[in-house]
Amino acid sequence: MEKKKLCLALYTGSVDKLTAAGVILSGAAADDMYVDIYVLLQGARAFRKDVGDNPDKLNMAENADMKAEFLASLKNLKVKTWVEFFREAREITDVKIHICGLAGKVWGGEKLEDFIDLADDIVGIGSYITAAQEADVNLFI
Amino acid sequence: MTAEELKDLKATKVVDARGTACPGPLLEAKKAIGTINSGDTMEVLSADEGTKSDLPKWCTKQGHEYFGTIEESGYFRIFLKKK
Repeated sequence: MEKKKLCLALYTGSVDKLTAAGVILSGAAADDMYVDIYVLLQGARAFRKDVGDNPDKLNMAENADMKAEFLASLKNLKVKTWVEFFREAREITDVKIHICGLAGKVWGGEKLEDFIDLADDIVGIGSYITAAQEADVNLFI
Repeated sequence: MTAEELKDLKATKVVDARGTACPGPLLEAKKAIGTINSGDTMEVLSADEGTKSDLPKWCTKQGHEYFGTIEESGYFRIFLKKK
């Protein structure tokens, strides 16, 4: 069976949507997909070393007033943090994570070392478009 | 396989994923199948309703042989053979 490609434009920097992205990545990993993730504007903030999966530094995209309940429920269900999901997916399948150069600059990240070790490189939008054209599944989260 | 045959099956590998919600059991199964040999059998325990339909589909799609599922009280036992 030929491996399918998933291309994810990860715009969000919110904990709820990052968790959803992590769950989808897990499914892709279980299915042996090649995964290319392009981290756009808000997403790049979450990938900064001083943010990552620190829940105090991440907001909710929806139901912002229920963040504590949301996080408590995930913990109760033993659901991994978004960084753990991403890391685990990378252990199982071929996942490449690219930080958009502009997005990095917006949040004060010029170099790869400014981001958590999940990030593979800093790229321009042309790379994303090419990957999106070649992918079997395209998602924008 | 019939339920009786499944009950008698001693799987090479038993994965207890009852402590996790989706996508935990699927990932546990994915990781565990990499540790067994072709032709070996695996039993996945899950208490997650979504996994009951997800895992057989994943198994077939990956080319493994799905034997069947036994419903116990509060969890499922899903049996398969690695291709």
